[in-house]
Amino acid sequence: MATLAAPAFAAPIERSDGGFLSWLGTTDHKRIGYLYLFTATGFLLWGGGEAMLMRWQLRAPNQHFLSAEQYNQLFTMHGTTMIFLVVMPLSAAFFNLLVPLQIGARDVAFPRLNAFSYWVYLLGGLFISVPIIFNAGPNGGWFGYAPLTTTTYSPGLNIDFWVAGLQILGISSLAAGFNFITTIINMRAPGMNLMRMPMFTWMAFVVQFLIVLAFPVITIALVFLLFDRFFGTNFYEIAAGADPLLWQHLFWIFGHPEVYILVLPAFGLVSEVLPTFSQKPLFGYPVMVYSGILIGFLGFGVWAHHMFAVGMGPIADTVFGVTTMLIAIPTGVKIFNWIFTMWGGSVRFTTASMFAIGLVAMFTIGGISGVMHSSPPADLQQTDTYFVVAHFHYVLFGGSLMGLFAGIYYYYPKLTGHLLDEGLGKWHFWLNLIGSNLAFFPMHFSGLLGMPRRIYTYDANQGWDTFNLLSSIGAFIVGFATLILVYNMLVNRKRGRLAGNNPWGAGTLEWSIPSPPPVYNFAEIPRVTSRYPVWDLTAPELTAAVPHTLRGDEMVTAQVGGVSAGQMSVPADRRPAAAAGAGLHAPPARVPSAEELGIPIPYTTTKPFFTALGIIVMFGGLLLTRMENKIPGWAVLALGAATLVGGLYWWLTSPLEPEHEHAGAHGAAPHHAHAH
Amino acid sequence: MPFVSRPRRRAAAALMGAAGVAVALGLAACGVGDPRTYPNTTFAPHTEFGRDIDDLWNLLLYLGTAVFIFVETLLVITIVRFRHRPGAPRPKHVHGNTTLEILWTVIPAVVLTIIAVPTVRTIFRTQARAEPNALQVEVYGHQWWWEFRYPQYGVTTASELYMPTGRKVNFALRTADVLHSFWVPELGGKRDLISNHVNYLWWTPADSVAETAWNGTCNEYCGASHANMRFRAFVVSPAEFERWARHQAAPAFFNASAAAAPAAPAAPPARTSFGPAPAAGPALVRAVANVRGAQPGKGTAPAPGESPGGSPGGPEAMQVAAAVADTGAVFPRDRLPSYVIPAVPTPAQLKFTPGLVGDPARGQKIFSGGLCIGCHTIKGNPMAAGVIGPNLTHVGSRYTIAGSLYKNDTDHLRLWIKNARLMKPGVTMPTLGMGQVDPQTGATVTAATGGLTDQQIADIVAYLQALK
Amino acid sequence: MDSFAMPDVIVPAAGVEHTYTTTGLPHRKIGIWAFIGSECMLFASLISTYLIYKGRSVVGPFPHEAWTDPSTGHHFRAILNIPVTSASTFVLLMSSLAMVLALAAVENRDKPKVTMGEKILGSSKLWLFMTALLGTTFLGFQAFEFTSFVHEGVSIRTNLFGSSFFTLTGFHGAHVTAGVLWLCTMLAVDFKRGLGPKDALNVDIMALYWHFVDVVWIAIFTLVYLIR
Repeated sequence: MATLAAPAFAAPIERSDGGFLSWLGTTDHKRIGYLYLFTATGFLLWGGGEAMLMRWQLRAPNQHFLSAEQYNQLFTMHGTTMIFLVVMPLSAAFFNLLVPLQIGARDVAFPRLNAFSYWVYLLGGLFISVPIIFNAGPNGGWFGYAPLTTTTYSPGLNIDFWVAGLQILGISSLAAGFNFITTIINMRAPGMNLMRMPMFTWMAFVVQFLIVLAFPVITIALVFLLFDRFFGTNFYEIAAGADPLLWQHLFWIFGHPEVYILVLPAFGLVSEVLPTFSQKPLFGYPVMVYSGILIGFLGFGVWAHHMFAVGMGPIADTVFGVTTMLIAIPTGVKIFNWIFTMWGGSVRFTTASMFAIGLVAMFTIGGISGVMHSSPPADLQQTDTYFVVAHFHYVLFGGSLMGLFAGIYYYYPKLTGHLLDEGLGKWHFWLNLIGSNLAFFPMHFSGLLGMPRRIYTYDANQGWDTFNLLSSIGAFIVGFATLILVYNMLVNRKRGRLAGNNPWGAGTLEWSIPSPPPVYNFAEIPRVTSRYPVWDLTAPELTAAVPHTLRGDEMVTAQVGGVSAGQMSVPADRRPAAAAGAGLHAPPARVPSAEELGIPIPYTTTKPFFTALGIIVMFGGLLLTRMENKIPGWAVLALGAATLVGGLYWWLTSPLEPEHEHAGAHGAAPHHAHAH
Repeated sequence: MPFVSRPRRRAAAALMGAAGVAVALGLAACGVGDPRTYPNTTFAPHTEFGRDIDDLWNLLLYLGTAVFIFVETLLVITIVRFRHRPGAPRPKHVHGNTTLEILWTVIPAVVLTIIAVPTVRTIFRTQARAEPNALQVEVYGHQWWWEFRYPQYGVTTASELYMPTGRKVNFALRTADVLHSFWVPELGGKRDLISNHVNYLWWTPADSVAETAWNGTCNEYCGASHANMRFRAFVVSPAEFERWARHQAAPAFFNASAAAAPAAPAAPPARTSFGPAPAAGPALVRAVANVRGAQPGKGTAPAPGESPGGSPGGPEAMQVAAAVADTGAVFPRDRLPSYVIPAVPTPAQLKFTPGLVGDPARGQKIFSGGLCIGCHTIKGNPMAAGVIGPNLTHVGSRYTIAGSLYKNDTDHLRLWIKNARLMKPGVTMPTLGMGQVDPQTGATVTAATGGLTDQQIADIVAYLQALK
Repeated sequence: MDSFAMPDVIVPAAGVEHTYTTTGLPHRKIGIWAFIGSECMLFASLISTYLIYKGRSVVGPFPHEAWTDPSTGHHFRAILNIPVTSASTFVLLMSSLAMVLALAAVENRDKPKVTMGEKILGSSKLWLFMTALLGTTFLGFQAFEFTSFVHEGVSIRTNLFGSSFFTLTGFHGAHVTAGVLWLCTMLAVDFKRGLGPKDALNVDIMALYWHFVDVVWIAIFTLVYLIR
């Protein structure tokens, strides 16, 4: 029992929820991470429900549970929801929670921009998700191929919601991208050089670059579509000579990096979980870093492998086929490095580690089927069939989501102070593993046996009935498993077993501070001398073999020896009396507040929320201009623009945090404020 | 210690799971090439294009399975062998191994090279230009049905693709509206139909598959009825193909007397008037050039004395009548596999008055004087020259209607004309039955909007069925 | 307790302040560079689209060739007016120079200025104003260009050229407009309380943005106007 953390605190520290307004105005990266986590979980149920409806329709041939139109809206929104409203925001939840903690920072670089990102995501997510309830949901597929999405073929509001919704969500992702790039470049604690960064932060870093470089491309593709639909331009108008492949190229130049945006954070989480539960450092850390960078880089050079059937000609097919095969190499390297992280270790089977191992097993299948359609001629028999559906569900469900689930079980205690129930967790894992394989493995067969994608019905006698029935049964098992996860999260949010600082015996910096962390994270910015600073303390005899150098830093001595048990990470004069002289295993009864430590904390502010709201209202107004009477539309648009500009003005002219008087309209010159 | 309990059982369960997957894979693999069970399988190709892909696929499948078994076995061995044991010392910290890491970079690279070389060769071989004497087929995708034109024969048909064995078929793929994708899984890979582009695809049906039929699909999402955009591919012997094409190229001539005595054609001379089948091409082209004067076919200038656009009632009426009289060749009904006969049920609420008998002559009149001719062409009926819907010349010789969604029989045709939009979501074909509600507009069909009574529909159906 | 023991001590980095940054650069400097990188992809997409659609318009008028409408017989000149745009390009280039001087003036505010030349060069108000003025002049050229194109028969709806041209240059114009508003705000602050070295970062970030918008125009001018 001892391994599961003797409670470090009588109760988690002063995390009073503080009411609705405190959440609306929070700029604390941990609280924003919390919001991201629960919002994305809500959308997970939403998008999963969409999948359940589709699988009920497809359980047998010639069913009429759903109409063609309903099904088309459902598959469009299932993809859109899972990609933009579930997997990316779940990753964002971990970026928010973990990046500052892992690099030894007190918050992200731009806390209010961070809140803004969240509110844009929430409101944009509702904007794009709600119309389906009124049978006006987007129905052009998540890929929205022109010219089907032009007003000639899709005159309704459906596609308008999609175009506007994706633009809104893009703003959220881009804002977060700039924020985390700056955070990771500029807020690493002394000694936290790049090759010492935890692998999750590394993958987050790569992903932010992918986001800021890929999202502008889809933004422009969507701007063209928006202009075509609202202002009569010709970008995708066939009669004007437009080339539908313009959309496809722009979309996939974004769309393929997007795949890595979805999967690399999960890779990062697994690279945290496996070392902890193997009690061994990550195998081949530098190679893991370089392969992650290489995947991100090559990810921009393979987009046209989504287009092998469009007739690009043999040379383009060859080039994109070969680059796609190349990208399999760094991906394979990661798989082997994970396995060898466990090799020779002491592997504990917790829910988190089981999900991480599950990712390695399932993603391997997705990777292999990926190589199968990297060969353009072979892809001609696979593309746009259920084989591809099987492939990317192994990648995005078996890969991204299993990794994110591992992350949820692993980091939930850090976020809330309470452990999730391991028994329920294992039910979740096994049902999830069995259900997802039952759902997705038969899809390989239905695809290779000729079943096209995106069909709301199929005829009998085609040899697809059994596979579809299996897929449907599997899907409902996965749905049930997901309900177990959500129940586990809700019940144990405040009532789960107390976690303490480091319930898993992990080695990275975030586990050195209380759970949940105090608002300032680190009472003093830590100094980092290795990749697993906590293990330096708990198992110095094992880590001593690694030279604790500080390349580029003035301090080159190993710091481990200089620390005595009981020394607080708070200067002695500010240390609470109760903690004085406390031993390694008896931390203080309470954590000092930011005021006591004299650490400035950003103000609570609703300005980012109102700025975000302005953007949503603007797009809402734009859609209203499709009405016969244009005046309400333009009025709402103007109202939204005014809210946006006003919110932005008050935001930029108000100070971020106390004691940092802002010099001008655009923020403060950095200077340190000393304590109260 | 809740999370380290019973590791052995867990590991065993994992192993058994992996084994189960492998067994299922093996079992399924035995049957997937059997077209009787899996009529749309990609594992049993019948063209050189399909076989090229299949060779590549087999390589990918074997290598992929080997990699799968290797990695998953290694993973299972690792987690079983190195599971946590209570009281064991903490594992030694190992940070990497350069030799191993180079090894698992180089070996995948070698494996991928093994895949890449044949891949590139296959790309260039399968995308070479088709030889000029190939059978040219122009494929037009429409929301949501397929149009096939044979410019060398002057044939335009819908939903049913005929190909001879042993002759290269070169498809020129175009779309009339949004993007579609053309696929017959048993014959070869798919190719998209892209607006403002022409794509090509070719294959040669093997000699062994004469009198075989397959299903084709649209694989690029194209709107409401994407799932219902199907077609049939029939492979027949070269001689049968020539007969089919010659007959399809001729106008479908219908008159009251023909209707009265459909079983007594003045047939035998018709055969000889065209000469032996292989040489029929040019003569045939001349014979039908008048009807297809507006089509963009190559080398089909009207023969002297023929007036472009002339009606079949004109000077060559005799020839036309002869062509109609030859019922040509169609894929033999008794050879139709069950999977090409649509089993799609009709909407329960859509009913047709039982016991009605249609009169084809009346049907022709209603057809020619009503909405039908706005969209449909019937070569042989000068009134019917619409190009929005499928060409209905010889519609009576087809096995399926509505994008191969329904059987081409009296019941389905009648219901289709009565309320097509109820039978296939989103279609352009209007709801025509009197008193029916158009599911797209919600409007009720009346006489003023061109509504048809069940008797009128039965007449039209009788007319269409006479267009053999 | 075994090895899962919880350490509560991590070595603090003595003397590291709340505002410590790894690179020593302020956050917003890094942020603006990330933003500019992202903007590069935005304009790359726009410019690529223009180039891909070049010569693909079904109907005229065209950028570099005259065109006679076959249905009306109306004759259209080649649309792009390179001399006028060369002038506006020069104006925008000069605005970047003014921006450099404005930043230098803000940074060197506290240095004594004696000669008339030093006083002129050291006036941040003058150079901010000049930058904004030249930026506005560029926008004026663009407004003139757009209206005359519409007058000559090309609007954003006319053909592929019109759609891609107006969207590309319009996006650039919107960026210039945003920059001019930013400059005006900064100028207002300068008049209100004077900008000094402590504001240099703000001016520096604005200058980076301005130079970027300028460089993008050079690319547009070369690829859209000069290359036929």
